[in-house]
Amino acid sequence: MSDHLSPALLNSLADGELMPDQRATVDEHLAECRSCTSSALFQSLLKSATAKAGQRYNPPTQLLERLALRAEDENAPSKSAPFRITLWPARRLAFAGWVAAFALLLVFGSIAFVQRNSYRAAIVSTRYAGLVTEACDQHVATLASNLAPQVISSDRHTVKPWFQGKIPFSFNLPENLPGDTRLEGANLTYLGNQPAALLLYSIGKHRVSVFVRQRAGTGIPEGFSQEHAGFHVIGFNTDELEAVAVSDVDPSRLSNLVGMIEQSQARVGRSMK
Amino acid sequence: MRLPWKQQARETGPQTSAFENLALPLLPSLYNVACWLSHSPTDAEDLVQETFLKALRGFGAFEPGTNFRAWIFRILRNTHLTSRTGLAARNTVALEDELGDPNDSGAALHPESTIDRQTPEMNLINLGDRAAIEAAMEKLPPQLLEVILLCDVEEMKYREIAAVLDIPIGTVMSRIARARAALREELHASNMLSGEFRE
Repeated sequence: MSDHLSPALLNSLADGELMPDQRATVDEHLAECRSCTSSALFQSLLKSATAKAGQRYNPPTQLLERLALRAEDENAPSKSAPFRITLWPARRLAFAGWVAAFALLLVFGSIAFVQRNSYRAAIVSTRYAGLVTEACDQHVATLASNLAPQVISSDRHTVKPWFQGKIPFSFNLPENLPGDTRLEGANLTYLGNQPAALLLYSIGKHRVSVFVRQRAGTGIPEGFSQEHAGFHVIGFNTDELEAVAVSDVDPSRLSNLVGMIEQSQARVGRSMK
Repeated sequence: MRLPWKQQARETGPQTSAFENLALPLLPSLYNVACWLSHSPTDAEDLVQETFLKALRGFGAFEPGTNFRAWIFRILRNTHLTSRTGLAARNTVALEDELGDPNDSGAALHPESTIDRQTPEMNLINLGDRAAIEAAMEKLPPQLLEVILLCDVEEMKYREIAAVLDIPIGTVMSRIARARAALREELHASNMLSGEFRE
């Protein structure tokens, strides 16, 4: 060791950074050297003075409260894994992106679904509006013409076979009709560009046209009943057929006839099975 | 006394609770150092808050059992360096030890003049004037001030300071020696030290 302690040793002494063997050597030197002892004490005093002077600022209470609240806020979004998300903002953004994409998909899917249903409803509405109009027109045309039905008979066993080979389906006719209701005959016609059986009934003096054809798509809505140009229009579906009846007769009586025709179709279904 | 719902909230976030337990006691020290470095209470609040949030978000990467104090002070120091005042300080200060061998112990960089050999009586020293000490510290270059704050005020060991400042221990020793020499010179200039201490 030189005559005096080095600045590094004096600072390390003041800072308590000397190794045990270094400390022993320094203590031995300080016991004999007043100059180094004075310097070492000065370093210690200076360290103590700067330590006290350095404790100069105290944080405002609001800062501590604010930071404590921020810590709780940071934890709030994900209590199960509070730091996993905040550590990787990119992952959080990606997750948010997927959520947004899913939400958009859901919104557009819902819109498409609603639009599709609306479109379907519009198609159905248009389709049956056209069907009602066409059925009423044919009913009026039949009433207006002086032509006799293509098959004139009140016997269902005559009318039904007449359609064999003329239409690609079969149907049944009710056997027992109400007292003032009578089967007048039938025509082969086309309704909505489809072959149809036009059954001609009379209820009292009122004429009734019943169109029977193969069911198309979803068929006529259940309980279908409309008014068109002063005529009552009632329809029904079976698994294979759909029928529309047009008349100016009282709706309940028309509905009664239509109900009997509908019930008679069940026998066709049972016989086919 | 902790309210029951507060306790429950803490139980749901064990990492946050652990972070708060470690960080909140250090906030006064962080704020004190931040004020010294930024010279502005407002900037210091921003600096501490940013440090706190960075540490909170990065706490998952902190290895339990290691030196949390050194870790969060390092965040504070790095955050300060990227701040307006930190950038200004970094651009205006150049230290001799930055040019030296980083593996050097620092002894060669300690000029003998940093130790006063002509002061036989310590009672000639008056270091009780706190305002004068503070004034001398304020005049220290930022890189010397931060090492004095960490060493004397925060009582960090050299290796902790080296970790906070990301410099070799030898550079830490060198800066401490330069800082104390600069303080002594400033105290001489302000007549705090007796004439016998002056060179």
